[in-house]
Amino acid sequence: MRPVGFSTTPNLVLRLPMWRSRLMLFLLFFVFMMLLLRAFWIQGPGNAFYEAKGVRGTQRELELPASRGKILDRNGQVIATSLEAKSIIAYNDTVPDDLAADKVQKLASLLQISESELRKKLKDERKQIFLKRQVDPEIAQQIKQLEIPGIGLNNEYRRFYPDGEAMAHVVGFTNVNDKGQEGMELSREKELAAHPGQRRVVVDRLGRVVEDVAIEQLPQNGKDLQLSIDSKIQYLAYNAVKSAVEQHHAKAGGAVVLDTQTGEILALANYPSYNPNDRRNLSGEQLRNRVLTDTFEPGSTIKPLTISIALEKGAVTPNTNMVIGASYLVGPKPITDTHPYGNLTVAQVIQKSSNIGTAKIAMNNLSPEEMWDFYTAVGLGQAPKIGFPGAVAGTVHPFNKWMPTDQARIAFGYGISASLFQVARAYTVFARDGELVPLTIERSPEVKQGTRVLSAKTAIEMREMMETVTEPGGTAVKAQTEGYRVGGKTGTAHKLVGKGYGNSYRAYFAGLAPISAPRIVVAVMIDEPTGGSHYGGDVAAPVFSTIVGETLRTLNVLPDNKVKQMVLDDKSPAEIRTANVQTQHVALKR
Amino acid sequence: MNRATLTLLALLLICALSLVAAQQRARKLFIAQERAQIEERKLNQEWLRLEYEQRNLSKSARIRDVARNQLHMVPISPERTLYLKEAQ
Repeated sequence: MRPVGFSTTPNLVLRLPMWRSRLMLFLLFFVFMMLLLRAFWIQGPGNAFYEAKGVRGTQRELELPASRGKILDRNGQVIATSLEAKSIIAYNDTVPDDLAADKVQKLASLLQISESELRKKLKDERKQIFLKRQVDPEIAQQIKQLEIPGIGLNNEYRRFYPDGEAMAHVVGFTNVNDKGQEGMELSREKELAAHPGQRRVVVDRLGRVVEDVAIEQLPQNGKDLQLSIDSKIQYLAYNAVKSAVEQHHAKAGGAVVLDTQTGEILALANYPSYNPNDRRNLSGEQLRNRVLTDTFEPGSTIKPLTISIALEKGAVTPNTNMVIGASYLVGPKPITDTHPYGNLTVAQVIQKSSNIGTAKIAMNNLSPEEMWDFYTAVGLGQAPKIGFPGAVAGTVHPFNKWMPTDQARIAFGYGISASLFQVARAYTVFARDGELVPLTIERSPEVKQGTRVLSAKTAIEMREMMETVTEPGGTAVKAQTEGYRVGGKTGTAHKLVGKGYGNSYRAYFAGLAPISAPRIVVAVMIDEPTGGSHYGGDVAAPVFSTIVGETLRTLNVLPDNKVKQMVLDDKSPAEIRTANVQTQHVALKR
Repeated sequence: MNRATLTLLALLLICALSLVAAQQRARKLFIAQERAQIEERKLNQEWLRLEYEQRNLSKSARIRDVARNQLHMVPISPERTLYLKEAQ
């Protein structure tokens, strides 16, 4: 036997099975493969998550501000504009609890709220809360200088209305989010609205913008809107209505001024009004645009329309004599006049505003259908299409439902309803020699083509009759305007209270001027005048006169009436011109 | 290393450096543009504000008040107005 060394005894030789090393090799290979795969995944298809993380650290979305369109009057004067303001935001988890008392006090006084209110807001559970919106940039700057942690500023816009009350019902107003709520701000929201853009930028460690990545959306400023309103005329119309309402202790009033050539609305005034710059405490009463949204029985203002139909048919002429009498029985109740008249010509029926006369002309010469056709043709019973929110249609009942008593009363304006605006529009027919002009509230200074509803002859005859209303013997002597021939028609309507007529009235005057070549139509309404007279000729006519005089002067319309005129042209002989100038100097020195 | 390699290396270096320079310039221009845009916005706002202010100072209510109360003016009336006709 061969001797065997201790260390080499075959019994001690360990024979590792082959599979174990194979397994090891495989496992190592497998793990490395997994790592490789993972690396490949992260680099390639699964990259989005990490990329997003990276982007979040270095890129920001920034808003590109856009401002709401301005609203301008016909002369380009601003009547609504958006200026930058700041909103003050508190991030309540960042605001320290032990904020210095003097800082709280300062902040509260800058925000114009009480200290306790401010502390309550800062304790609010919500993470971020508006402390105040639409703060003046200067005040915002002072707040920023307080350097309170967790108080942030945000850019926003605030709407300003330099004309305040006078223009409130036309332009309307916006809410804190710059969205239109009333008036043109609401109806033209689409065009006026701003569309802020967005861009993506790379920022550095300190948050400074280093690079543009992309503009994701271009900012779009709102379009400017130019109205047909003349802020001067609007202001004087508003003032005239306001002082009349105050003088007659009336509930409300309204006036509208139309340019008969272009169909533009020059003024649309309402009282009571509100300040659109301060939108707290707004009530429905103040917000109502009475000229467009209130319908009423137009009363006597409709008489010229009714009588025009008879004139147009040739059934009567302005000089046709009529027996009026003290009352006229149609249906259960007799029709009466404020003063009994014996005989009147058709022209005098207008001048004196005789209910009986108008009813007789209608009953003897007109069919309900003819009347309905004409009223509808001049726009009664249809909402005016001028893009104003809440413009009403009024009612003209279908003619086949009219009983004779209805027809007689509709002839002088009871039993139908219309807004003041509709009445004014209907009167453009007389101003435009028989054409009804399409109206607009946006500036469009070209002369518009109208729709013919009356012959020029009838319209001119009616215009002359309407002038007699303002002459001695007429119902509205107070409508006379210095320097200009004016014509129109008064209206005094009993207001419907519940089912019957109460003891309150509406006084109107609708008319046109100057008679020789009408340029404007003005309609005035005073609701429930209580101090003294309630007649249109006493209450509304003076307002008409003021508005017409000042408007025509503003529009540089040459006077056409009997007031001694001093017109200088190069055809006047030199001595007359100097004489005139001298008279003028004398007049001015007076 | 032959000459071609050296030339290419030099070219590469020049390109790399000019890239850095161009990037630097782009950043600077971007910052300038950014500033100009902020300035533009500010001026735009300023213009709007001034326009509003001008309107506020020229509105009918104020003119009327100043004319009546400070300048003691009276409204014109037709009989005291001289109308001039343009030459035909």
